Amino acid sequence: MYRYDEFDNEMVSARVAQFRDQVERRLSGELTEDQFKPLRLMNGVYLQLHAYMLRVAIPYGTLSSRQMRMLAHIARKYDRGYGHFTTRQNIQYNWVALERIPDLLEEIASVEMHAIQTSGNCIRNVTADQYAGAIDEEIEDPRIISEIIRQWSSFHPEFSFLPRKFKIAVTGHKNDRAAIKLHDIGIVITRNGEGEVGYEVHVGGGQGRTPFIAKKMTDFVPRNKLLAYLEAVMRVYNMLGRRDNSYKARIKILVHETGADEMRRLIEAEFAKIDASNMLTLPDKEAQRIMAYFAPPAYETALATSDILQAAQSANKDFTHWCATNVVSHSQTGYAIVNISLKPIGGIPGDATDTQMEAIADCAATYSHDEIRVTHEQNLVLPHVRLDDVKAVYDALVPHDLATPNLGLISDSIACPGLDYCNLANARSIPLAQDISTRFADLHRQHDIGELKIKISGCINACGHHHVGHIGILGVDKKGTEFYQITLGGAADENASLGDITGPAFTEDKVVDAIENLVDTYMNIRTSADERFIDTYRRVGMPPFKERLYAD
Amino acid sequence: MPTKHLIIDGATASDQWQTIADDISFDGTLDEATLDGKGAIISLARLEAEADTLRQRNTPIGVILRAGEKVGEDPHRLAPFLDMLSLVAIEFPVYRNGRGFSAARILREQYNYKGELRATGDVLYDQWQFMHRCGINAYEIDGDIPLATFTKAMDSLPDAYQPAGDDKRGILWRRS
Ligand code: SF4
Repeated sequence: MYRYDEFDNEMVSARVAQFRDQVERRLSGELTEDQFKPLRLMNGVYLQLHAYMLRVAIPYGTLSSRQMRMLAHIARKYDRGYGHFTTRQNIQYNWVALERIPDLLEEIASVEMHAIQTSGNCIRNVTADQYAGAIDEEIEDPRIISEIIRQWSSFHPEFSFLPRKFKIAVTGHKNDRAAIKLHDIGIVITRNGEGEVGYEVHVGGGQGRTPFIAKKMTDFVPRNKLLAYLEAVMRVYNMLGRRDNSYKARIKILVHETGADEMRRLIEAEFAKIDASNMLTLPDKEAQRIMAYFAPPAYETALATSDILQAAQSANKDFTHWCATNVVSHSQTGYAIVNISLKPIGGIPGDATDTQMEAIADCAATYSHDEIRVTHEQNLVLPHVRLDDVKAVYDALVPHDLATPNLGLISDSIACPGLDYCNLANARSIPLAQDISTRFADLHRQHDIGELKIKISGCINACGHHHVGHIGILGVDKKGTEFYQITLGGAADENASLGDITGPAFTEDKVVDAIENLVDTYMNIRTSADERFIDTYRRVGMPPFKERLYAD
Repeated sequence: MPTKHLIIDGATASDQWQTIADDISFDGTLDEATLDGKGAIISLARLEAEADTLRQRNTPIGVILRAGEKVGEDPHRLAPFLDMLSLVAIEFPVYRNGRGFSAARILREQYNYKGELRATGDVLYDQWQFMHRCGINAYEIDGDIPLATFTKAMDSLPDAYQPAGDDKRGILWRRS
């Protein structure tokens, strides 16, 4: 894992001191809420429906057990005993008092964490594949370039007041788990003909009220030139991005209105100038230094199969089910990647209590080389677990309700905060996710249905990623009552696609039935258990689903 | 309107410039009286239209680059005139509109412009240091903000990760 050096520590401490001063000026009345707003936003502090909310950055979703323990401590001391892991691989605290935030920031700084650039119109926390450094056939660990981007984009003097927020995601693997094509910039690590590692760059993806899949701008940028290339993209956007309408201000609109070819030409022209100056060419030694932090942990040599694991599986059916959904094979022989579902049946997606966080920290310290990952689907990962230890991890998770065997299944949905927390919402998201999960509580049924991604947003801003749900649900407001519009066929992976609207929206009391109808239709027409919901939809299209949904 | 005061290169300065509206013509006595010995800041459109005649005069010429909303004025359009300009005022109409940060860097780094780069408009405390890093050296700030506050703001971040338009090399480039 990356460790701060004296430079990083100095920058973070300076920021905490600066914000403490700003909070004092706000509390004394020297700053009005209007004047304070841009300052607090630069430090991840939002004003929500009921209270201030603080978003803490988890760069590229990687945490140590020490950091996770700190997050638990913060939940207990400053919030109501829990935190909420977000689709941006961050954690949010929904009930913090403004005057205590500087102390909170000082505490997290002691474990090398911060809330810088987790809000505001700047380059946000970089996200990456949660299986980084653990999955087979990875070209390079995406956290290396993500950390380089994190540093380059931190306190960037030119790009801190962009037309809108700006999100970058990185994957180093052909299976995209970071939804890179739905980001302002999506980076795919690749190799050129000479075998050198470099980056394919996609620009202009996004969700919200006008969703777009990103357009590929270049096939290959070498490692030492990527920052120059990104600076070129950012400069074109900062100069040309619209500032007359916040709904048209994201780079996806610029790419759409300018056209991908012209956009590519503008970026290349700017890149040529920056590159010629050489000022952003990354020194190879610095790249190597950062790379060294992400070297694989000291694995033990182990066999490809584990007698302990096999014995445990034959003795315990629940454990076997959990292994089938939540345990993924690792690049290192004898190891596994273990997913921890934060979607217990009927629970709040992404929430974790202080004691759950501590239990996970203990597991990571004992069984996973001290590492934890946060996924954009709001789950957690123990990336490096010996096959021999998988059962021990399971046993440690069960008492904390952390061993729900539903990864990728219908109850593993994404839901935005919705009407319970968010002042923009039309409808509730979390209670709907809970209702769906309760309706399909029978895990055998869920396993039978197979992979099915439900994503729920409380309004058109799409924080719950409904456009890319296999089934997407969007809260709409009709004359003050909550309605839900359904979309089918979205996907956020390497075959990214946007869902199609089924037809008229459903009332709150009909929407769970509608979901069940969709699932039943799929079960009836799938060619085999291997054909996933999304595959069936792509094969047959909307008609059979629509017919069933609006039958009466 | 609160009064503004001007800080150039870190010190309080008196303004040697006046903004001249497009409809005030540059001939005859009106000109001398209006300018009162100061340089003239004109619009980009006027600069493009009247550059040839303005070059004949002794009046120092500056231009204001408007940030715009849907589109902003393109700093590359200044290229043919930079030799005759001793001031470029960069507009920040609201603190959220950060086009000027890029405009400043383009002028300094791509055109090697050495004259005064002045930030005007709605400028936040926490933006001064970033502006400086982008090559801006003059600031029109709220009259009630003391110079000491300005100086403190310029030091609020002790270091920088990335190179920009100032002489900081960036942490990523200094470690190795
Ligand atoms: S999608 Fe809408 S309701 Fe949900 S969190 Fe985003 S803004 Fe709020």
